[in-house]
Amino acid sequence: MNPVDLIQVLVSGVALGGVYTLIGKGMFITYRTTQTLNFGQGDLLAVAAYLALTLATAGAPAPVVLVGSVAAVALLGMVVERVAVRPFQDRPHAAGALAWILTTFGFGLILQNMLVSVWGKSKQYSPPLFSTKADSLVTLAEVRFYREELAVALASLVIVGLFYLALFRSRWGKQVAAVAFDKATSALLGIDVKRTVVSSYVLMAMLAAISGVLIGPIVTIQPHIGLLFLVKGFAVVSVGGFTNPIGVLVAGIAFGVVEGFANYFDSLFGDLYAYVFVFFILIFRPTGLFGERHQGVR
Amino acid sequence: MTKSNGASALGAMLVLCLGATVAQAQGVKVGVVQGLSGPPAVVDYGESYLQGIELALDDYLKASPKHKVELVVYNDEANPQKAVAFVQRLISNDRVSAVIGTVNSGNVAAFAPLLQEAKIPLMIGPAVATNLTLQFIDKKPSFIFRCALVEKYQLDKMLDWAIAGKKKIGLLHGTSGYGQFVAAEVQKGIAERNTQLVGVESAAPNVTDMTPQVLKLKESGADLVLLFHESPELFYRALPKAGYRPTVAGTAALSAAAMLRIVGKEGMEGTVMGDSLDLNQTQAKEVDQKLRAKFGEKYRWPAVAALGHDAMKLILGAVDASGGGNAEKIRDALEQTKGFKGATGAPAVPYSPNDHECLDPGDVFLSVWRDGRTVKLQ
Repeated sequence: MNPVDLIQVLVSGVALGGVYTLIGKGMFITYRTTQTLNFGQGDLLAVAAYLALTLATAGAPAPVVLVGSVAAVALLGMVVERVAVRPFQDRPHAAGALAWILTTFGFGLILQNMLVSVWGKSKQYSPPLFSTKADSLVTLAEVRFYREELAVALASLVIVGLFYLALFRSRWGKQVAAVAFDKATSALLGIDVKRTVVSSYVLMAMLAAISGVLIGPIVTIQPHIGLLFLVKGFAVVSVGGFTNPIGVLVAGIAFGVVEGFANYFDSLFGDLYAYVFVFFILIFRPTGLFGERHQGVR
Repeated sequence: MTKSNGASALGAMLVLCLGATVAQAQGVKVGVVQGLSGPPAVVDYGESYLQGIELALDDYLKASPKHKVELVVYNDEANPQKAVAFVQRLISNDRVSAVIGTVNSGNVAAFAPLLQEAKIPLMIGPAVATNLTLQFIDKKPSFIFRCALVEKYQLDKMLDWAIAGKKKIGLLHGTSGYGQFVAAEVQKGIAERNTQLVGVESAAPNVTDMTPQVLKLKESGADLVLLFHESPELFYRALPKAGYRPTVAGTAALSAAAMLRIVGKEGMEGTVMGDSLDLNQTQAKEVDQKLRAKFGEKYRWPAVAALGHDAMKLILGAVDASGGGNAEKIRDALEQTKGFKGATGAPAVPYSPNDHECLDPGDVFLSVWRDGRTVKLQ
């Protein structure tokens, strides 16, 4: 393997790893506040990708595409919390305590069908956000990559940094930690628990939306693309640990890079290796590489 | 004629008329099982083939038909269990006279024995696996026919062309059942021609990036890449990053309109694929225009839609020739079809007792993308 190929595979792996990281982050934040995951999160990514496709095709500039798609999907985040999660949060010990798995998944299926109805079943390609031509590349020391690949890698790094600050250095972060620890006590202390939970779902949706907008020009999109990213995001957050945002970043990038090199050296089983690593890591460290045994008390 | 004899004759005439009316009202049912949802690669095939079927039926019904023919359509979602269940329903509940389907060769392999057993003709399409009709041809009579591009015919043409051009050939295939099947066929064909592939790469069906595979093929020195993957557009997407521009050749999937929309005119330029639709032919042009008018933007794959059209036209011709909805007579009429004029390269006498493929190796040719259009490769 020559050095240029090595860096090329690394860059592609980091870019896709950035997407897995953003999805994993969404799971991290909703799990922290409600101990639930949105199994329709990948479909929010798909919705954002299609919205971005429509706006970009209509000639909207990149900031409008980004803000428009993210805002619309953020609203969907509020809706999924209200209709698919909250009804089951108020009765955690009832027989349907785990019903949110089904309802969030069902919400995602509804979104998939909406996408099919509006945009059709075929694959589509989203125009590039940061260049005028589909094959415009950035070249650095003989290594070529699409601008969106760079953007998604940078976005995941910046968002992790902001995330860390917001969670551990802000009033909102303290509220999240309190809600994660005990909702009833948090409410007694004057924290608006519902608002904190809703904000976590909105944040999850925004992260999925950012991934969707940035991934559209890199891959081809289709209504069922979300499931793939959901599964990989789940693997990433499991390895990174549901309690550590830095862990999610490390696991996400590592997953993408392992996937890239596995496909280079043994493409027949390329996608398998990353999951094999996840499997062995979870056998020896069930809480993930960076997980803590008692989440929510940090 | 006595009064009673007259009444009997009148009664018999009434019964006959009533019987004929009932038969006319019941009509002839043709079952269709296609992949109409699920992976886009499946849906594009299934919907396009169905568009062709619907157009052929429309044309038939507009031309004062001898029989009232109706379609019973089921979506197997590329799922073999569902495909088998739907075929069982078509046989037992819907009582169809013939069945057309489906996209996945594995699904066809699962339900074809049921139709052979039930003595109901099956028109396979658009499934491409080579042996689908061959395994029934010795049954005498075989009820299994096909109107689709047979994989081996395309591959043979492609490999002969590639080797004549003295190209270094690489292969990129999917890891699905279809991808593995094609990879085996390519490698067999290459071995038969006493040559070898310079590189073989594969990718999972739901892959999102093919940069690693493209880099490996570039490293292997392949100047022709045989591409058999459910998401061929991802291969093209990775080419500029690798600074690599091989000739690409593959199945008819590369002729889909979606490829042009996603990859663009420049990206597709020079790509070669198996084909049976020559749009310079009058009949093909006419069917293409009708499909365009009927389905508008939803018409996205002329090569596959034309095959669906010919499949249905063959069935309708057999229904007319056999005099109605008797499945065994339709089978016989299909096998004896003469003077057929289709949109694809299917010959006037497409079938015989020993050949149930509507396209023979000589009817398949190579097409190439030139300036945003597919044209016959000279």
